[in-house]
Amino acid sequence: MKTNRLRFLLKIIWVWLICVFLMMAQTACLVWATFGEDQEKPQPEFTRKEKTITAKLLPRAKSTSVLIDFEVSGGELINVQGMDFEKADRPDVDHKDFKSALFVIEIGSLTPGAEVKISVISDFFIRSTQFWIFNQKLETPWMDSNAQNLDRPDRVQELVINVKDGGPFDSDMNENGRIILMGGPKDSFWGYALGTLFIRYFGIFIVLSILMLGMIFSGKIFQRMEDKKTKATSKPASLTVQVEKAEKPEVADNGITAEMATAVAAALHLHFSGLRASHPMSVSPLRPTAWAQQGRAQIIGERLMMYHRNKR
Amino acid sequence: MSWDYVLELITNILVTQTGIPNLLFKQVIMMLVAFFFLYLAVAKRYEPLLLVPIGFGIFLVNFPLAPLMGYSEHGYPELLRAFYKYGVEWEIIPPMIFLGLGAMTDFGPLIANPKTLIVGAGAQLGVFITYIGTLFFGFTLKEAASVAIIGGADGPTTIYLTAKLAPQLLGANALAAYSYMAMVPLIQPPIMRLMTTRVQRRIKMVQLRPVSAREKLLFPLVAAILIILLIPAVAPLMGMFMFGNFMRECGVVKRLSDTAQQSLMNIITILLGLSVGATMKAEVFLSWKPLLIFGFGLLDFIVCTFGGILTVHIMNLFVKEKINPLIGSAGVSAVPMAARVSNSEGLKADPTNFLLMHAMGPNLAGVIGSAAAAGMFIAMFQ
Repeated sequence: MKTNRLRFLLKIIWVWLICVFLMMAQTACLVWATFGEDQEKPQPEFTRKEKTITAKLLPRAKSTSVLIDFEVSGGELINVQGMDFEKADRPDVDHKDFKSALFVIEIGSLTPGAEVKISVISDFFIRSTQFWIFNQKLETPWMDSNAQNLDRPDRVQELVINVKDGGPFDSDMNENGRIILMGGPKDSFWGYALGTLFIRYFGIFIVLSILMLGMIFSGKIFQRMEDKKTKATSKPASLTVQVEKAEKPEVADNGITAEMATAVAAALHLHFSGLRASHPMSVSPLRPTAWAQQGRAQIIGERLMMYHRNKR
Repeated sequence: MSWDYVLELITNILVTQTGIPNLLFKQVIMMLVAFFFLYLAVAKRYEPLLLVPIGFGIFLVNFPLAPLMGYSEHGYPELLRAFYKYGVEWEIIPPMIFLGLGAMTDFGPLIANPKTLIVGAGAQLGVFITYIGTLFFGFTLKEAASVAIIGGADGPTTIYLTAKLAPQLLGANALAAYSYMAMVPLIQPPIMRLMTTRVQRRIKMVQLRPVSAREKLLFPLVAAILIILLIPAVAPLMGMFMFGNFMRECGVVKRLSDTAQQSLMNIITILLGLSVGATMKAEVFLSWKPLLIFGFGLLDFIVCTFGGILTVHIMNLFVKEKINPLIGSAGVSAVPMAARVSNSEGLKADPTNFLLMHAMGPNLAGVIGSAAAAGMFIAMFQ
């Protein structure tokens, strides 16, 4: 009784210890962000072609690089640079939501107070992608730009942001004929993670179900083929013909008929078989004898050898 | 030549050319970790074929100043770095292991009872639950995927996916995968008993139909067509797996099949084990992450076992001939350990109930299922 209580207490202590460990680990992980170094930090490289600046980068949660084009109408696109998230880190935003880095977009040659349209174009964006803007001069520095998300051919999405010189999206907030916009495309990290989880888990069911159907279908064909082959090799009709064609059994010279000879042979066979078997075999399907069980275990053991990991 | 000069020379030699003054405490800890895994492999026989080279790799790579895992002055990789670079980084070894596994696998039980493929899919539940769990702990999406696949209980798949998505976790993931695969007989039975009644454990299944040689020969071709068309990202693993199996079943390349099963497999296992062990340098391994990975790996195995058995329970609501739920736990691949566990649990409930061949179906389906899950993750990050 005491031992059982002790075991029960030990179990409870173990469960508590595991819970405490996990909680500590989670706190440590979250404080330490992604364990110190951000392994997936996008590092964009920029190239310019006429009025378009293109960023090439390896986004978070991707193994292949993507291209993001920046264009401006109503002004001149002077420069686009990458920006570290640490500068814009606030408790209400998660850097994981910004899969494709943050950018500083500089626009000039404007009449003071004018409005421009900035287009950010990529096939990496989806219809729900937003463009969020950071302005540290505001009380709430992070805000949604309410960018229009337009469909383009070849699954390309275009985010169009209206920015006014000196407005809240302009980092310097001065009507000086120059706009500096800080921000980046934003997708919901958890939405993506959970959505893709659901799709991919059921994807496995779909793939294996298709394979299963293929196997059931091909299995039926093979079984039918095997059945046909078996029927072809043991046609009862032809056997009858053979039996009919066979010569009639002759009566032996000493007067013993074929039927008698068969009966004698069967009796001898049963007699000697009986001598060979030490125990009569039980044929009851419910309770096989130890002898049968041992045989089965041996067969299973031999089959098992094929899959024995140490034999690999 | 003064004594001072001689003493300085000796000091210089000791400091720059011997390891003793450069040995750090954390390297000693890693050597103890190596000894622990060598002990598990040698004394406890836990996956010795993999844990011996991995353990020895950990042991070797943690010697100070040893030219094993770096690059030479001319930029050439040192010994273990070369194994790692050309074998794992270039993604050659895991598909080659699949080639050998394919050559060793008899798909007969799966072909005879294709319904068990669904069990293999259901047993991937833990993979996806762990994926979410690790994200809560600050792992990145790629890291979460590579940790989650541990529950698929397939060493080469884990190594392949981790090398592709999160190479910094390779050592911890591979060790967790192989350790838990070896511990399947300890982990699974309590969950199996918890999720089944005695009556359910005594369900006798109909004997499997015989599978013709022609059917076995066509299986790798059909399976490769369907799987690779649906998940092209899994082609390196599945392509090699089915190629190995085709060599086995066609019967005209016995030499190649034997080589893939034995010599090639043994060579690759040595290279793979040493490469994986060599990634576990003290500065990389001694952190929170490996501990969490081991924790999540265990959770992953438990949920995968649960998922497989649950899938059988659901299937039993619809099928005429009932399936023994004990074979559900074999849906985690761990071939053939998981199938053996199903068989032994079946025998405990009824000494006349042999489930081994029935359990081999979901067991092989688990291999395909975990490779499919890996393919899904790879496709997700493309």
